[in-house]
Amino acid sequence: MKKRSIRICALLAATLMMATGCGSAAETATTSSAPAETTAASEAPAAGSESASGEKIKIEYWHCNADDQGGKTVEDLVSAFNESNDHIEVVAKYNPDMYKGLMQNLQAEVATGKSPAVVQIGWAFLDYFSNNFSYISPQDAIDKYDTEDPTFLTGNFLPNVLELAVNSDGSQVGIPYSLSNPVLYYNKDLFKEAGLSDEGPTTWEQVIEYSKTIKEKTGKYGLYIQEPADNWATQALLESNGAKFITKEGDKTQATFASEEGIAAYQAWADMVADGTALNISWDEGMQAFNQGEVAMTYTTIARRANIQSSAAFDVAAVNSPVWEGKERAIPAGGCFLAITAQSEEEQAAAWEFEKYLYSIQSMAAWTEGTGYVPPRKDVADSPEGLKTFLKENEMMKAATTQMDSVHPWTSFPGDAGLQAEQILLDTRDQILSGSVTAQEGLTKAQDDINALLGN
Amino acid sequence: MKKRKLKEQILATCLILPSLIVFTIFMFWPLARTVYLSFFDWNMIKPVKKFVGFQNYVTLLTDDLTYKVLGNTLLYIAILLVINFVFPYILSFILSFLMRKGKGFYKTAFFLPSVISLVVGSILYVWILNPVTGPIAKILVHFGIVLPIWSKSEGLVIWILSLVTSWKVFGYNFIIVLSGVMGVPQEVIEAAKIDHVSNYRIFTQIILPMSSATGIYVFIITIVQGLQYVFTPIKVVTQGGPNYASSNLIYQTYHEAFYMYRTGVASAFSVLSMVLFVGLLVLEFKYVEKGVYYEN
Repeated sequence: MKKRSIRICALLAATLMMATGCGSAAETATTSSAPAETTAASEAPAAGSESASGEKIKIEYWHCNADDQGGKTVEDLVSAFNESNDHIEVVAKYNPDMYKGLMQNLQAEVATGKSPAVVQIGWAFLDYFSNNFSYISPQDAIDKYDTEDPTFLTGNFLPNVLELAVNSDGSQVGIPYSLSNPVLYYNKDLFKEAGLSDEGPTTWEQVIEYSKTIKEKTGKYGLYIQEPADNWATQALLESNGAKFITKEGDKTQATFASEEGIAAYQAWADMVADGTALNISWDEGMQAFNQGEVAMTYTTIARRANIQSSAAFDVAAVNSPVWEGKERAIPAGGCFLAITAQSEEEQAAAWEFEKYLYSIQSMAAWTEGTGYVPPRKDVADSPEGLKTFLKENEMMKAATTQMDSVHPWTSFPGDAGLQAEQILLDTRDQILSGSVTAQEGLTKAQDDINALLGN
Repeated sequence: MKKRKLKEQILATCLILPSLIVFTIFMFWPLARTVYLSFFDWNMIKPVKKFVGFQNYVTLLTDDLTYKVLGNTLLYIAILLVINFVFPYILSFILSFLMRKGKGFYKTAFFLPSVISLVVGSILYVWILNPVTGPIAKILVHFGIVLPIWSKSEGLVIWILSLVTSWKVFGYNFIIVLSGVMGVPQEVIEAAKIDHVSNYRIFTQIILPMSSATGIYVFIITIVQGLQYVFTPIKVVTQGGPNYASSNLIYQTYHEAFYMYRTGVASAFSVLSMVLFVGLLVLEFKYVEKGVYYEN
């Protein structure tokens, strides 16, 4: 009897472990989904250490660039800055799990009363960040600490680029730093085999037609549109047909993607999947398929350029994000902006000095070469100190740099419902692409559900 | 006499204290906290938790999705039991009593995947089973077979993810079952063989009953651990998709908690899963445990 009760206890404990164990399982998963490295830089003493005379002031720069995503470039940039600067020492700190991970770490750090000086904030967190954290806006920092160069922002950045970091209250939270947009990569060898033009398609209608030809002539898939856990590419596809993901009227935000144009664009994608000319598969598998020449075209971010160039075993090229015939291109920006979260004046001044260094033509050029991001400031592309030679040799970057004027903010649904709204769209994508509902039914229902969440 | 007993009591308490503290901090406290949170509307960030009573449970129980996930969970359990409980048993029997050569090799070969991370395994399988570019797809194409795109097919996706999980779980379970089966005295088997008892009867009427103590352990560990392990391939390969067709209770809880930040609903989900599994265990004790044979 005694033994029995011990066994019962043990088994109950095992069940409890299972019920509560999801916490630990979650942790394993978050660490595993990010690349293996932990903090890239060594832990530094908290920012806020006093700088005695003659001693360097220490500030922290938080980023999410793992070694295979520009982490090396971050280190190079920071160490070059530290060597050339006599009064500031920057410590770069890597945060796993991308912008979401950084946001969570920042929250924990601020809760303990400390704060890094410069942080990377993903576009989707623009409102969340500005509502919850204290920061100094770039123009304020310039007016306060850099009076000689008051027009740094307007002089060096395109207005539509600067606008990306303006929150819904209309204030400039930071300066755009990493900028990506979607482009269409295509396999020139497969195009040749199918007897298609070497130039690549410019409209989605052409993409559809080319995909059919490729399927008929080569038996390969025509197109793969990226399917990660967000709706970035979908937004580009729909908005380039004149649809609007959300419409703002005063304080009210409404989901409006289930318009005639939105439905038509989505249905076109679903039809391609249904007739086998487009592939419906996870992002990793889809990229593998493209890199191995099983898919002729893939629609994904320019940030994948370096990766595609090194893994594709064929003649690969990239063109601008296609448009729908007679419509204007509208594509969402990906990436992040830099915000200054330093609290003391001394640190804010140091943070601005460092930020200005990061936005110099040379630093921006190094950043683009190391990652594939499009430089957000003007002059980088044409300057000989910048990317002039690099861009000349690297034709693929042109696909992204020449469509910067069509870049819009990445839709983030406001408030607490944002995450749920995003999820509804992902579920809808699965349903529409698997053919279990039409684009009309799926999008209309999703739009109603999201509007209900938003309280409309 | 009494004094001595008290001393023993104190000593026993002292000895059990460290594990009790650990259990309290890492198991009972989180459990109590989970139950507590399941009555609130909260997103882990807001300073104020809103008390909503049983609303989270109502939301959960009226949502079709919950039942879909529950169905998936049961399917996972069924598949994992066949692959990681039934197969190891049969294999152990073959290896212990029917095979003459190469036992060591098979033992190593079957156990090897258990030491490799499941994340690595998942990524490996995504590559091997890639329906367009994977090696299997390329071989099958020559026979005119096109692999379905499993990561986007409802139903099929559960089978594949179970397979990936089994790759990791199988070896460990196999070694445990094997030790149980090998613990059955050789003389009994020899005697049965002399009497011309068929292998089938040896397996069902001698091996199974005599190794049932190990068997029941593996049975439960397959259900409990298997469900936790499935989490990794779900997270790495499908994130619960397409349209929740590959989500299970554990993953759905994680999804609600750390994607949607609906802490209350996630906690309610957690509690529901626990109640469910406590129920299963009670049934197990009532009906299965009675027939188990313990050597000592």
